Amino acid sequence: MAGLKTIIALSFVLAIGFLLVILSSALFKNYLTLLVVATYVIAPLPNWICGRAANPDDFMESSGSGVIDFGRFLTGFFVVMGIALPTLLWHAAAIQGGAAAMSIVGGLLIYGTIISFTLFFQEEQEF
Amino acid sequence: MSSHRLFRFPKPAWLNNANTRTAGVYAAGALFSLGFYILIDCAVWSKSALNGSSAHITFIDWIPGICSALGMLVINSIDKSRLSADSFSYSGNGVAWKARLVLFLGFALLAGGLAGSVTVLVLKYVVREYVWPTLWMGVGNVVANGLVMLSSAVLWVAQNMEDEYTYNLAL
Repeated sequence: MAGLKTIIALSFVLAIGFLLVILSSALFKNYLTLLVVATYVIAPLPNWICGRAANPDDFMESSGSGVIDFGRFLTGFFVVMGIALPTLLWHAAAIQGGAAAMSIVGGLLIYGTIISFTLFFQEEQEF
Repeated sequence: MSSHRLFRFPKPAWLNNANTRTAGVYAAGALFSLGFYILIDCAVWSKSALNGSSAHITFIDWIPGICSALGMLVINSIDKSRLSADSFSYSGNGVAWKARLVLFLGFALLAGGLAGSVTVLVLKYVVREYVWPTLWMGVGNVVANGLVMLSSAVLWVAQNMEDEYTYNLAL
């Protein structure tokens, strides 16, 4: 049931996620953590592109699933990148621990919003 | 088919599930990303202010990682069904032989990457008696190559799972 409440709740979560990431960069005067947003925005793209590139109707041809698998591999890569990048910067003392934690939580909220948004509204487009 | 089982415990049913296969591919990507960023972390840490020693990441530290990544690429770009292709009469020209040769090269690159990272750790950091914060640049290299190896193993298993899944579907 993807109604108005879902949209409102998702937009709230998205706003909180962006708030956390922007605070993590603005509070510490260090704008490296904004990379997390870019990472999570491009994370769903490989799945989407490779899903279009492969032909799911072609059942006998097994080469189509290789493209889909590659898209999934890249998605897994980007999702962990969003966690690993702030941790890496924190370990090299480029940003502080608080900024790293805030940007990780904010990034996960943003990505969760994107994923649940596509989950909720994919069903209505299908068929 | 189940009467020809060798072991007492049957293979759990979730292993042949399509969802497990998808999760395996995602997990492989995640593991590879973790390994890659541990490698980057070593390099960034080497240039940061925390590194008080004279040891730095040079191109030598990158070679094992490059070998591992190339090996993973080679292994996973081979079509697994070609490995047993010689048993069928319609596949001529020794496709399976070529596939096994390329696969061997891939595994050699992967194992060479892991062994090379241990070599770098020992020769560059342990022998010169560096202590822990500096030692991380060598240990992280080994961990990163191990993760890339684990990732390609997970991807291999997941892709073989798909074959059995489609096989069951075809029956």
